[in-house]
Amino acid sequence: MNANWLKVFIAAFFEVGWVIGLKHADGVMEWAATVICIIVSFYLLIMAGEKLPVGTVYAVFVGLGTAGTVFSGIIFFDEPFKIAKILLICVLLAGVIGLKIVTEDNATEGAES
Amino acid sequence: MAWLFLIFAGLFEMIGVLMISKLHKDRSWQSLLLLFLGFGASFLFLSFAMETLPMGIAYAVWTGIGASGGAIVGMILYGESKDWKRVAFIAMIIGATIGLKLVS
Repeated sequence: MNANWLKVFIAAFFEVGWVIGLKHADGVMEWAATVICIIVSFYLLIMAGEKLPVGTVYAVFVGLGTAGTVFSGIIFFDEPFKIAKILLICVLLAGVIGLKIVTEDNATEGAES
Repeated sequence: MAWLFLIFAGLFEMIGVLMISKLHKDRSWQSLLLLFLGFGASFLFLSFAMETLPMGIAYAVWTGIGASGGAIVGMILYGESKDWKRVAFIAMIIGATIGLKLVS
């Protein structure tokens, strides 16, 4: 696999890490880890975006990030599993991904990241 | 209250993202400062929202507001394409967000 795509996957992993941190972090060490996750995630995403099409990178990233947060919430933190909720999150995600991909096709200025 | 925090988090994220584009063009310290303030405020409000909302919902809505808000600002201020597909995707995001508010 292309090393730049690998960066996107690792960035999404750290993205899920900081989301968990924002909700559950307790104490200096955990908050520090949360901030580090934010920095690593942004850094990798920006690096990958310099080599790959930004709209596609963002679409893949946000899809993985959303799936990761939803599932870690349900699996690790006992958040309720509701079909309606999951379906609506899928619709929302489809909107975000569609928007990013269509925008990239149009190659508009200021549409990066 | 949590939903209000979430909307603020999304709006601040939009400012942060706009500053990334601006920083690419002007390389000024003002843009960099606004970038940090925007994302800082965004994360702060997101953590407030998540005190009561589940992570999955909060994160999805936060991203949705950032993406659709960015596109709307682009259309109004920067003359980006108002293609029907873009408008339809924005409507999907807003519709799903309202739906999530109703089921949670």
